[in-house]
Amino acid sequence: MGCCSQSSGKDGEMLSSDKVTNEEISCLNLVVQGKPLQYRGSADVRSLLESRGENPMYVNVRINDEVLGHRDFEHISLHDGDSIDFLYYMGGGTCLTLQMKKSSGIRGI
Amino acid sequence: MFNLTDEEILRYSRHIILSEVGGAGQQKLKEARVLVVGAGGLGSPVLMYLAAAGVGRIGVIEDDVVDVTNLQRQVIHATGDVDKPKVQSACDTMKQINPHIEVDVYHERLTKDNIFPLLENYDIVVDGVDNFPTRYLINDACVMKKKKLVEGGILRFMGLIMSIDAGESACYRCVFEEPPPPGTVPSCAEAGILGAVAGVVGTLQATEVLKIITGVGEPLYNRLLQFDAEELRFHEVKARRNPKCPVCGENPTITELIEYAYTCETQAPGNP
Repeated sequence: MGCCSQSSGKDGEMLSSDKVTNEEISCLNLVVQGKPLQYRGSADVRSLLESRGENPMYVNVRINDEVLGHRDFEHISLHDGDSIDFLYYMGGGTCLTLQMKKSSGIRGI
Repeated sequence: MFNLTDEEILRYSRHIILSEVGGAGQQKLKEARVLVVGAGGLGSPVLMYLAAAGVGRIGVIEDDVVDVTNLQRQVIHATGDVDKPKVQSACDTMKQINPHIEVDVYHERLTKDNIFPLLENYDIVVDGVDNFPTRYLINDACVMKKKKLVEGGILRFMGLIMSIDAGESACYRCVFEEPPPPGTVPSCAEAGILGAVAGVVGTLQATEVLKIITGVGEPLYNRLLQFDAEELRFHEVKARRNPKCPVCGENPTITELIEYAYTCETQAPGNP
């Protein structure tokens, strides 16, 4: 199993009694982006992403040899020894660009 | 032996003395036909290096005009080109670099209606767009027509590159099956882009094209290369064809081109 195990809140946060949940906290030895990582938190991909400051909407994830579907990260469990890579979406945009164009007369992107 | 003039042999001599390229490789470059989608941050170095390398026929499609905010990274355009169509500005620069090449300019947006006829004229496609509707359109069309594709994307201090041998290696949808939900991934206009990052990624795309044409080395097939300029690191992620891929899998569900709507949330056409 992992490097430690205890019950607490998400993402390794030590919670006060009124915040304690029944959520299982795991401590796993992972390889993230090619680097060893001792991860302590909920053993699901979404929690790992959030603990690393990654927006789950910006990335896809590859675990070992499997590229995950984009939107079900919270249902994918992590296991000791997993190798995780973040695959970043790049090359899109939102309406802010159009708003900028309309308001400032900026042309092009 | 090779259909190269004395001037061309001199011009390309640093290629030709590479034993892996040689006169035969340079001849392949001269006979190659490459379509570059977008003449922006990525398209600029791609177009300039392919022109300089002597790729015989280069198509560039882009419907935008040069804006002063482009000039921090779109190095194929200059201050005097502001308000000119990017395809014209790009063509002028490429011809200045190398008058021996032919440049086809398409001042229009790439759509599901014009992409198949366009692809017929080219062997390799380079993706230099910054919007997901066109990115998926290009991937799907290249898979359907078995065209080689060199993907690239940039944002802030990061970039990614992936080469695709349609039907043989993982396609873009094998890794990113569907576009991200509307409004979730910002554009360079919103999140910013360090100009030189576009140069790094675009130059790597051009390198991949030259390798694929000449047969030198191993293209980035089944590999996704991510670049982080802040840490100055490259991180390679292995990819593989997804049997359930909706466009190149065993039972594809996408058999006709899809043009995702350019809604407010998914971006207007443009270039990184």
